[in-house]
This record gives sequence, structure tokens and C-alpha cells, in this order.
Amino acid sequence: MTLTQKRLVILLIIAIVAFVLGRLVVRAAINLLIGGTLFGGNFL
Amino acid sequence: MSKAADEKKMKAVLIWMGILVFVLAFGAGAVSKVVIQPGWTKKYNVPWSDELGTRMVDLPYGDGAANKFDLYLPADTGKRNYGLVVYLHAGGFTAGDKSGDVEMLSWLCKKGYVAAGINYTLFAELEGGATNGASVLTQSEEIRDAIPKVIEAAEKEGYPIDSMAIAGGSAGHTLAMIYAYRDAGQSPVPVKMTFGAVEPSCFHREDWDNYGFDRETEESYQGAAGIFSAMLGEMLSVEEIKDGSYLEKMTPISAAEWITPDAPPTVVAYGTYDRVQPFKVSLRLKAALEANGVDHRYLELPHSGHGLQNDHALYKQWMEAVEEYLDRYMPAK
Repeated sequence: MTLTQKRLVILLIIAIVAFVLGRLVVRAAINLLIGGTLFGGNFL
Repeated sequence: MSKAADEKKMKAVLIWMGILVFVLAFGAGAVSKVVIQPGWTKKYNVPWSDELGTRMVDLPYGDGAANKFDLYLPADTGKRNYGLVVYLHAGGFTAGDKSGDVEMLSWLCKKGYVAAGINYTLFAELEGGATNGASVLTQSEEIRDAIPKVIEAAEKEGYPIDSMAIAGGSAGHTLAMIYAYRDAGQSPVPVKMTFGAVEPSCFHREDWDNYGFDRETEESYQGAAGIFSAMLGEMLSVEEIKDGSYLEKMTPISAAEWITPDAPPTVVAYGTYDRVQPFKVSLRLKAALEANGVDHRYLELPHSGHGLQNDHALYKQWMEAVEEYLDRYMPAK
């Protein structure tokens, strides 16, 4: 794997983690307002 | 420029690129959570289109500024009789509008029903602490008085109504249930069923634990007296809260207390973690439906709150149950 490929993979991992975090933060905010579990039910 | 400086610059660019990707992906994730819904929800969230029929908005049923309803008349005009489905909007008795339920009303219209969204006078506080006089009781009376006007308007347009269902979300379903259980005997047509979710249907203060009304403290009694008085539209004293005599006064707006073996079939859903409508209230409703042998479907969404937001599979089951009960008790012929 070339250095550029490694960097792209790292960016891809960052993007996936950030995308999931974005969804979890909205879920947590909604749960805070109206109730619900963070990791129960449909996880994302 | 030296090789070391080039490498440093490249490293900085990569770090900034990583931060940018993180921010953009985080934002996309947050937006996707709000915007993207499971595919099956499209079936029930139908945008209005003239192909579905005719929509008449803001038809009056009383003198109040909010006393208006929207009528959704299906495209098929050839039937002898039609079922009416009334859907009442949510909003904690203080907010909301029938226009928020266009997709639900359009779905019902698409199924062949005459559908109606009815506004009611919302509770509001005026300057100096006075209120506009609206309460759950006056709202329920407005709905009761509106139904004959809705049926009359539909018939005037060539859609004779021979049966009805009444539904709603949250506060809207409180009013719908009061009509279904308390006022159905006054309805011009038989009330075949009610469906909805997350509504408060009775006021035993020990059930209202998310508001702290289950505690034996002065603050708790005063809190219960304040909220229940506002909902009833009549002052309840702390003493009445303490000795439980307030419950009899609350009866006119306690839908669950009106359930009898003749109550219409009911489809309801609740979130176990609801912080708005106390979940324990729904257990009392369930017990009343069971004790009276009323055909019902009660769904508990064990990971969700007031928005029923974390249990998509069960939410789908609830909507399928609504459709099943409509088809069974009020088929769109």
C-alpha cells in the first residue's frame, strides 16, 4: 500500500467515525428531550 | 525550502484535511439522522396531490378563531357511503396545527376515507398570568361540537358518511379518546375505532412520576394541582390533590375512566422512556381496555420516548395494526 493509499484509508475511517458520531449525537439530543435509550432499539 | 519544511507543511495540510473531513461527515451524519427515514414510512407519509381527491381547508365549525377544519375528499366519488377518519394534531394542548398532519390525512384519503383535521382553541397564558380560558375540557367540547359539522360538510360535497374513526397524536389522541369513549353516544354516526399514541388518558398522580407528582411533598401536591387545574380549566386545591378527591373532578377529561365494554376498538403505542406523557398512565389505560374486553392493540416501544423514535420495527407494527383495524372495523368499501 502506498503512502497516499494509507492516507486515503485514514480519511475514510475518520469520515465513517464522524458520520456515526453525528447520528449518535442527534439521537442523544432527542433522547434527552423526549426520552429513550442511547444504545437500545435501532442503534443508529 | 528545505525537505523538513516541506514535510511539516504536508503534515499540516493532512491534519487540516482530516479535520475538514470529520466536520463534514459529522454534519452529514447529523442531518441524515433527521432527514432519512426507513423506507416503509413512505407508505404512510403521503404528500398531498390533487390526484388523491379534493382538499378543502379552513372550513368553520364555530365562532372561535381556531374553530376550523380541513376536509380531504377521496377521488372516488362513486360510493354510496364513506367512512370518516378524524385526525387531531399534537402539541401539548398549547401548540400545533392541522396542517402538520397533511401526510397522515393524505394517506387516509388515498385509502378511500373522507379524512378531516380539526383545529381547536389552544391553551395560552395572557399578560398578568390570566389564561385564554382554553383547557382540555373546552377543547374536547369543541371537538364534540365539530364532528356533526364535519359530517355535514362532507355530505354537502356528495360524500355521505355512515361511520367514523377518530385518531390523533399525543394531545390530539387525548381529545380523540375522550370523544371515542365519552362522546361517541352523541356522534351522528357510529364510532368504529380510535388510534393514536403517547397521549395522557388519566390523572392518577402516582402515575405522573416523571413530573414528581408521585412524591408526598407540598411541592409535588402544588405541582399536580397547578398542571391538572390548567388541563381541567378549574382550580383544584392542594387538599383535593392530597386526599384524592380531585380524581372525580378530572373525570370529564380522563378518557380511560370512560372505557366500558362498548368502547370502540383501540390501537395505541407508547414509549417506555416517555418524559412528556407518563408511561405508567398507559399501563392504566391498557388495564381498563383489558378489564372491559375492548378489542385493542397496545404496543410498548421499549427503547423510545415521546417521539417513538428508537424502535422502528415496532413503530411499523403499530402502523400495520392501525391499517388492519381500519380494514376490519371500517373497510373503505
